[in-house]
Amino acid sequence: MAALTEKNGKAAGRRKSWHAQEARLAWTLISPTALIVFGLVLFPAFFSIWISFRDVSLGNLNDVFHAPFVGWDNYRAVFNDFAFKWQGWQSWGAAVTSVVYTFTATTLTVLVGLIASLLLNRPFRGRGLTRAVFLFPYVAPIVSVVFVWRWLLDPRPSGVLNDILMGLGIIDLPQAYLSTRGLALILVIIFEAWRYFPFAMLMILARLQAVDRTLYEAARVDGASNWQQFLHVTLPELRYVMGAIFLLRLMWTFNKFDDIFLLTGGGFGTNVLPVLTYQFSFNQFNFGRGAATAMILLVILVTFMAFYVGIVMRNVEEE
Amino acid sequence: MQARSENSSFLTQLSRRFSLQGFIFAIVLTFFLTSILFPFYWMVSSSFKTRAEIGGREPVYVPGELRLEAYDELFNPENPSYQQFGTNIRNTILVAVPTAVIAVILAVLGSYAIARLNFRGKNFMVNAILVVYLFPGILLIIPLFAMLARIGDTIGFDVQDNLGVLVFTYLAQTLPVALYMLTNYFRTIPTEIEQAGLIDGCSRMEVIWRITLPLAIPALVSVAIYTLMIAWNEFLYAFVFLNNNDLFTMPIKISTIWNDPSPRPNVVMAASTIMTVPIMVLFLALERYLSEGLSAGGVKG
Repeated sequence: MAALTEKNGKAAGRRKSWHAQEARLAWTLISPTALIVFGLVLFPAFFSIWISFRDVSLGNLNDVFHAPFVGWDNYRAVFNDFAFKWQGWQSWGAAVTSVVYTFTATTLTVLVGLIASLLLNRPFRGRGLTRAVFLFPYVAPIVSVVFVWRWLLDPRPSGVLNDILMGLGIIDLPQAYLSTRGLALILVIIFEAWRYFPFAMLMILARLQAVDRTLYEAARVDGASNWQQFLHVTLPELRYVMGAIFLLRLMWTFNKFDDIFLLTGGGFGTNVLPVLTYQFSFNQFNFGRGAATAMILLVILVTFMAFYVGIVMRNVEEE
Repeated sequence: MQARSENSSFLTQLSRRFSLQGFIFAIVLTFFLTSILFPFYWMVSSSFKTRAEIGGREPVYVPGELRLEAYDELFNPENPSYQQFGTNIRNTILVAVPTAVIAVILAVLGSYAIARLNFRGKNFMVNAILVVYLFPGILLIIPLFAMLARIGDTIGFDVQDNLGVLVFTYLAQTLPVALYMLTNYFRTIPTEIEQAGLIDGCSRMEVIWRITLPLAIPALVSVAIYTLMIAWNEFLYAFVFLNNNDLFTMPIKISTIWNDPSPRPNVVMAASTIMTVPIMVLFLALERYLSEGLSAGGVKG
């Protein structure tokens, strides 16, 4: 670019006008995108802070800019809500459930992704096709896969899982998997790992294929077994990418609404903050309280990310 | 130590043909393939079952015959519980195709500016756009709903049951991703090619149109498919913004049929099959381009 500029205008003035022209063109090109993103994402994000301090219901939704100021009332109401707060092991509340669900699901997703990528890193016939098949759960529409899962987990004896487990003699009576406290949360976590492991797999696979072959040769010369090679060569090479995947998936899982809403509707000990936000806003039409819940969610997320990026990722980078 | 390493290399030699490792590999691979493919098999096969087969005491693993009862309910106007699924397919296309087309056009312009041109505030802009990744859709939908309701009142359009509004919100969700992917791609195209064009007297727009775009076709295709898929699958916004049965997109319709008081999983599976097959076909046809984008953090969620 610099060379071009020099060729074009030897005089400084001409160079300047070239730059100005370029900048103007750049702004013209990017302005539609910027307008949409700022108008429909950044402004609403700030606006929702504002809403969280107001009393907004269905009645004054059309006149939202004049909604009455209520201070921290919405936040107080959320913190005291039975759906939100921890009330012992029988009822975790959405805050704790969210954190537990997100951490477990993300860890499991990355682990399954790691196993899948190790499988696919081995040459075998049909590997390309297998790789494509492994991506299916991630590519298929969420609504379709959720309802297939619900249909597989059907509480009637004709449900596939019930049929298999009863056939094997593991259970005597059909189970209502998604409406049993505890079991529902575990299944939702397994569903997350099933659906999102391909993302982790692809990223780990890309990193695996970039590992320097000579490292393995050196390890083999030193007499390292396959397991030792994995432990001392492969894993250290993967640490950074796995840290990054963990962070991304954690963020997305924490924010995820569709999966739990469609699987259990947030019932039976699976209520998480995004679903609670929805319930406040669109079942009770208390938009102020909904916005307050969303802000609490965001604060938890940002605090954790700052901690993670500041400490965990830095350590990984230094090593 | 010496003895141990000899031992393990002997084992590796021995295991080359018939090994525990190979056995475990085969088992794990089978487990993965079964747990991935069975749900898809179950979706398609259930869609061809009758109500009797669906409601029996035991699951029917292989339907006796390919019966179109479920599809009949979706598409045949004479069926007593006709679902007008054709309308839902049309709505989904009406939302997904414009989203993809507009997102690609706007992202091409924006990402070209980011990748090639220098302007003040560029870094701020890029970061601001990427921050979008952080915000959950559920956080944005409340203010968006209120804001659009207010604007709609002033200018005079309905926020609810308006597919155009839905396209706008999908653009906000997909543009950052599209911009990110295309910027990365444009950076891989050598600038010398464009400079040659500029020296030959083409304007910037001509350079973009005649030189850069033809080179970027693979990236354009994958961005188009991504944005199409996001809009095709989107649930939350459509669920909140649409109330009218005639304007439901496929995901909303499918969840409505599932929640019907008389459960008909075969119909749900038929509708899911129709919604899933085009996506999977597109994906398999273009897998090579797409998985690169996937690993570049292409899809949020």
